Amino acid sequence: MSTRRAFFTETFASLKKDPLGIMGLAIIVLILLVTIFASILSPYDPLEVDVYNRLASPTWQHWLGTDQLGRDVLSRVLYGGRVALKVSLVAISVSMALGMLLGMMAGFGPKWLDRILVVCFDTLRSFPTIMFALAIVALTGPSLNTVIAVIIITSIPVYGRIVRTQTQALRENDFILAEHALGASTARILRDHILPNIAAPLLILASMDVPAVVGMEAGLSFLGLGVSAPTPSWGSILNDGYSYLRNSPWPLIAGGMPLILVTLGFTFFGESLRDILDPKLRGKGGDS
Amino acid sequence: MSDLLQVKDLRVRYPLASGFAAMLNSKKPSYVDVVHGVSLNISRGETLAVVGESGSGKTTLAQALCGLAPVLSGEVHFDGKLLPLGKDQHLQPDRKRIALMFQDPVGSLSPRMTVRKLLAEPYRIHPGLSDDPDRSALNLLSMVGLGNDFADRYPHQLSGGQARRVGVARALALKPDLLIADEPSAGLDVSIQGEVLNLLADLQREMGLGIMIITHNLNIVRHVADQMAIMYLGRFLEQGLSSLVFHQPRHPYTAALLAANPSTDPDAVAERIELTGEVPGLLQRPSGCEFHTRCPAVQAECRMSFPAREGANGKQAWNCFHPLD
Amino acid sequence: MTAPILNIRNLSVSYQTKRGLLRALRNINLQIQAGRIIGIVGESGCGKSTLISAIIRLLAPNARIDGGSILFKGNDLLRLDPEAMRALRGDEISMVFQDPMTSLNPVLTIGRQMTDVQHRNNHSKAEKLSRAARMLERVGIADAAEQLNRYPHHFSGGMRQRVAIAMALMTKPGLLIADEPTTALDATLEVQIINRLRQLQGDVGCAILFISHHLGVIAELCDEVVVMYAGEVVESGTTRDVFRNPDHPYTRKLLECDPARIAEATRNLPVIGGTLPDLVDLPGGCVFRPRCDRSIDICRLERPALRGGNHCAACHVAAQ
Repeated sequence: MSTRRAFFTETFASLKKDPLGIMGLAIIVLILLVTIFASILSPYDPLEVDVYNRLASPTWQHWLGTDQLGRDVLSRVLYGGRVALKVSLVAISVSMALGMLLGMMAGFGPKWLDRILVVCFDTLRSFPTIMFALAIVALTGPSLNTVIAVIIITSIPVYGRIVRTQTQALRENDFILAEHALGASTARILRDHILPNIAAPLLILASMDVPAVVGMEAGLSFLGLGVSAPTPSWGSILNDGYSYLRNSPWPLIAGGMPLILVTLGFTFFGESLRDILDPKLRGKGGDS
Repeated sequence: MSDLLQVKDLRVRYPLASGFAAMLNSKKPSYVDVVHGVSLNISRGETLAVVGESGSGKTTLAQALCGLAPVLSGEVHFDGKLLPLGKDQHLQPDRKRIALMFQDPVGSLSPRMTVRKLLAEPYRIHPGLSDDPDRSALNLLSMVGLGNDFADRYPHQLSGGQARRVGVARALALKPDLLIADEPSAGLDVSIQGEVLNLLADLQREMGLGIMIITHNLNIVRHVADQMAIMYLGRFLEQGLSSLVFHQPRHPYTAALLAANPSTDPDAVAERIELTGEVPGLLQRPSGCEFHTRCPAVQAECRMSFPAREGANGKQAWNCFHPLD
Repeated sequence: MTAPILNIRNLSVSYQTKRGLLRALRNINLQIQAGRIIGIVGESGCGKSTLISAIIRLLAPNARIDGGSILFKGNDLLRLDPEAMRALRGDEISMVFQDPMTSLNPVLTIGRQMTDVQHRNNHSKAEKLSRAARMLERVGIADAAEQLNRYPHHFSGGMRQRVAIAMALMTKPGLLIADEPTTALDATLEVQIINRLRQLQGDVGCAILFISHHLGVIAELCDEVVVMYAGEVVESGTTRDVFRNPDHPYTRKLLECDPARIAEATRNLPVIGGTLPDLVDLPGGCVFRPRCDRSIDICRLERPALRGGNHCAACHVAAQ
């Protein structure tokens, strides 16, 4: 059987044995399904206003109550998931791809390139995210794309640094020297020999990063730097809920819950994945 | 027999601390000489064993011949042509004819590639060599006596002996004229050491390969090598026909190495030549003949200068002021 | 005759793996008399690592003891509680590993580590340091007092191994287990260390269990030798008897494969054909039979027991 398939089946088999990992995976799948099918599942139009029924507590008509404009909180939360999904997917994949590229260049290339890139990484990382976001927003105005751009720019150095370290470690290995000896070009070595060996830790990192990214989006939107009203996002729900906390705690709770769930889900899953993929933690299978 | 490889006075120097650090700390040496003037010849169909302990520079010598280490000076002639030196000369077309087998059999194979992909890769890197890389890969497998069922295994699923054979197969892909094997039998159980060594001997017979074996195991040298050279701190102290060197070593270090071989005959009296001290580090290269710090026959002149080469009818040569007789 | 200091009786150990139960050790019987040096010879897969791990009770989590006992000075180590076992380790039973950095802590000086090893006695620090220095001298390290202040990375491989041996012998253990201590060293160093070990053993009087796949070293150092194959003891006896007149076909073939023993230079070195049996799926009968050139019918059916007096072998053919 193709070994890639064998790898997946084996990983899933091990995953099944870890209850937290299963739970994490279940939560993730649930969130994904609910988000994708938000339009079918949500009972109301999230933008539909019903001022007479504002700030209502949960009832059978509105499971999570209503917000300050009478909009159904549950529907807003479900649709808000789409924003979270879009942001995390785009931001993480782009920053991972670019970070990986730059990290490999830094780790494998000439020393001067490494030095330049490291300085760039460290500089970008030293900016507090909020300040950075404020600066960009001042230039371009608040929007979801701004949020995504800010997250990408501040995440690239993180991925880049890790990929750089991994690449440097791999570079010293005999098999890389063997490829050089065979006449393989740098591009081939990076693509066929370095990349597959750093992919696993990188994927784990990305999965653990989702809650952080979702949290960042929520935070930036909370500050009004991201999604603009009336589009629902978990951050903006939190923002509104915070303002009207004295009238009803429900919007705040409702906005915070998905964040908690996402964090739990991805963290459990990511940790489980890491334990499985770390060969040192497996028992001894034989001896000499 | 014509010489396939001719090496004259090869030197490999590695720079230490560069830039600021070197400027600030002028007391520390800024370079280390790992290969300090090596000359050797290998003909087609012949095997030369380079014997040395750790720190002797033998692996660096092998890498330098393949263009993977920075050469300071010296000449390398391959099949009559002078090869350009310097690092990264491994892409030079003639280098293809020199193949290297690495010391760590499993570690020198890319861990996430199957044996099939590993063996097909040389053909993908050099498209002119074969029309069907996958078929050529299987062909290589059979040349080293491994069945097709090994094609889908990963390096960590191979035993030491099997991984070594894959290493041989990979080295053969580019149809080399010279094969350099770095410790081909190290780490292998005695009962299968012969497999790899016999394989190399068979391939040499069939393909007329020249082979350079790097090893610290004198026991196999006696069987597999026509010529041998004893290396210490980057230089050859003695070299020549292995039958001669084995039975009549002229250099005290050779004699000590030969004597440091416990026999499985419990009654054999051990004529141990115990050397004092340890191999000096390359950064503390002793003056004169480097071996003088441990030599049982050391005298004043040994500390002053490195002895010139003396030879016996071109079949054995040594560098020693007081050779044994 | 006094009781042996280490008496392993019918020891069986297996590992629980994905593919099934891997039977790493099967009915191991082995005795070491006090003050003697026993060598264990075996190639990959023979079970020597498992055996050592079982003796010092540091087996992997998926290992289990299927039966047998390990009597050390009369006490069954397998039945000791962890506290008691820990008290023995480093004191009565010491180990030296292939990689000296397994025993040496890179961030502590040698002197500190060698005094730590003596934590069980009440001497003053100065006294402990001076004992450490004397021990270093006995393993051939010059300027011992100075060297105590240095860190392991200042020493070369050979010297580190000597320090590891010195540390292991400081507490005058009853048993020293040496797991391939010279395999990673050059031949000239190996010889030096073997000599030192023999001298020290005479002084300290401990028994040594010396594991190696280097036949020559075993022949030179050990009084007795045990040959292991695929989880079983196949032959044991004095080194003279076993190496001069090997009874078991595996031992015979092993000796034949040793390039040092082959008088005529040859390009066709002997090998033992075939492969190790799968320890998860063992064939019946003698475990060596698939690779043996002298097998008879009964070899396929019945597992041979160790037969013979002091020099014994587990072989139906040899027993005839």
